[in-house]
Amino acid sequence: MSIIEQLDFSKTLSYWPRHNEAIYRRLESKHAWLEERHHPDDDEAVDPLDNEMILNIGPQHPATHGVIRCVVKLDGETIKKCVLDIGYLHRGLEKLAESKTYQEFMPYTDRMDYLSPYSNNVAWCLAVEKLAAIEVPERAQWIRMIMSELARISSHLLWMGVSLMDAGAVSVFLWTFQFREDLYNIFDEVTGARLTVSHSRIGGLVTDLGEKGIEMIEDFIERFPVAVGEWEKLLNRNRIWIDRVDGVGVLTAEEAVELGMTGANLRGSGVGHDIRRFEPYLKYDEVDFTIPIRTEGDALARYFVRMEEMKEAIIIIRQCLDRLPEGEIRSDDAKRSYPGKDEVYYSMEGLIHDFMVTDTGVCPPNGAEAYHAIEAPKGELGFFLQSDGTGRPCRVRINSPSFSNLQGLESMLEGGMMGDMVVMIATVDPVLGEADK
Amino acid sequence: MPGKPVNTATKNERKLNFWERLYLPEVLKGLGWSIRKIWKEPSYTFQYPEEQWYPSDNYRGRPVLVQEEGKTRCVSCNLCARACPPMAISMESREIDGPKEREPVWFEIDMLRCIYCGFCEEVCPEEAIVMSKEYDLTFQDREEAIFGLDRLLVPKERLADRLAFLRKQQNPQFGSTWEYPRENNRHSLRDLTTDAESIQTEQ
Ligand code: SF4
Ligand code: SF4
Repeated sequence: MSIIEQLDFSKTLSYWPRHNEAIYRRLESKHAWLEERHHPDDDEAVDPLDNEMILNIGPQHPATHGVIRCVVKLDGETIKKCVLDIGYLHRGLEKLAESKTYQEFMPYTDRMDYLSPYSNNVAWCLAVEKLAAIEVPERAQWIRMIMSELARISSHLLWMGVSLMDAGAVSVFLWTFQFREDLYNIFDEVTGARLTVSHSRIGGLVTDLGEKGIEMIEDFIERFPVAVGEWEKLLNRNRIWIDRVDGVGVLTAEEAVELGMTGANLRGSGVGHDIRRFEPYLKYDEVDFTIPIRTEGDALARYFVRMEEMKEAIIIIRQCLDRLPEGEIRSDDAKRSYPGKDEVYYSMEGLIHDFMVTDTGVCPPNGAEAYHAIEAPKGELGFFLQSDGTGRPCRVRINSPSFSNLQGLESMLEGGMMGDMVVMIATVDPVLGEADK
Repeated sequence: MPGKPVNTATKNERKLNFWERLYLPEVLKGLGWSIRKIWKEPSYTFQYPEEQWYPSDNYRGRPVLVQEEGKTRCVSCNLCARACPPMAISMESREIDGPKEREPVWFEIDMLRCIYCGFCEEVCPEEAIVMSKEYDLTFQDREEAIFGLDRLLVPKERLADRLAFLRKQQNPQFGSTWEYPRENNRHSLRDLTTDAESIQTEQ
């Protein structure tokens, strides 16, 4: 083989045209269930818009909430077939994790679902703690819970603002962002960064929740329910909004389960599944809350579910604040998590542990495997970890809720109207940073 | 008691009554609410370059090296470089005389790689690298974004806020109280007596 042939990059460089061709082939050959699922077109009236057209929406379309590309085949204004193309934000996180220690990978989870970074941190740390059997002190668990619920509110606020903006109500976006600003200030005060929080550590937390942080959270949970009440007054009986979303993007309970939807999309279809109840983690089995569900399975049902989840989150945070115990915030086992700084500065053992935990990290037993899922704002966020006895994971798989939810979008879009597409994408609430990993 | 799934739908949640179907009252209600917001809401915006935001002590801005008596505290142990997830830190070490024995010849942080995670600060055994409050960094090219000792060293006095915060929030021992003898913090085994004396005079 000559050297020229080896340097033939034509296969690599032609990836894009080949990918595009494959997408269009898939669209052509896809069997859509449209005729069976929806009203058969037996009326013979000639529709001036009655011609087929293939349209690419995205990846840079502002209403696609990131970089998702929908290739749709239109019949007039009805979407006949749809193929989703994801992967525009792929950063290879799963592979990247294999060359990082468990601790080092934690900041990368901030960048997955960037609307609720705290939940991702917690999910990762819980998975590692399960793998390496690390006990986390009570106080750290309660603080993690408070902050994850704040992250849920923050994520739902963004969802609400953006989906209403997609439906035409731009001012709601500004009002929700006002509260997101407050939340960001809380995150800033408690964790040290507004967006990329990186606050959880294997075995606990990095800094404690201080007086000021608690004050800010208390102030927020005082004001927020009032605002939600106002929004509900404005939107719940608003004909413009209800007409826009009622009956759009219907998924029945069976369909939702079959397609693997999670989170609010599943609960909006009448399936009462919530990991916080069925596999309680942290202290969720000790607090009282309801899991709102709806049975209609359309965009309006998902809207109601998310609105109520925000109110439930406030109830959970109240209970957490009441029961927040005093105590440590990080595991006392220096072999598994960082020792306190005083110990590092003034004792040899502390220094050695500091170096050991940084360099080798926690070493779960060889062959250990663990899957841990949490109820992230978007649904079930799980990490599957496999250990080979070193400080680095041998294999990491991320079960991200946005990826699962996008699986349902295709069948939701098929049969819908072109104009409803934006609403459907919005109410499924995908975050592409997480779906593409 | 854990949560339980409840269908919390209220009656007529989806059915609008005649008045609500009239459309115009809703439009007016929405408009009225928007106008009320214009008057009643506090302003959340900054006039940014003129008006600067002063972060709290917890804030993780760009990492800087603590300068003490004209010298860096860093002993060039390379631990921060090891802990840094995006591998932004690099340095070269040399041996010197004096209690610290080592110092960096050069120390660089590639600010284009840094993700402001604060791991370097968390692992440093000398409290030599801390997160400052600077957040608005701009560069003209990639070379400029690599900060050397000249731009990383910041006098201890200017970092007083953060150092005090660390002492309060991050340093205390987790878990069972653990008495630490300060004399243990010896930097050099070469000259035990002077080192112990210096700690004593400090106290
Ligand atoms: S960890 Fe601290 S002492 Fe060690 S090289 Fe980094 S800055 Fe210097
Ligand atoms: S803040 Fe994080 S990314 Fe930046 S230099 Fe320190 S360890 Fe590296």
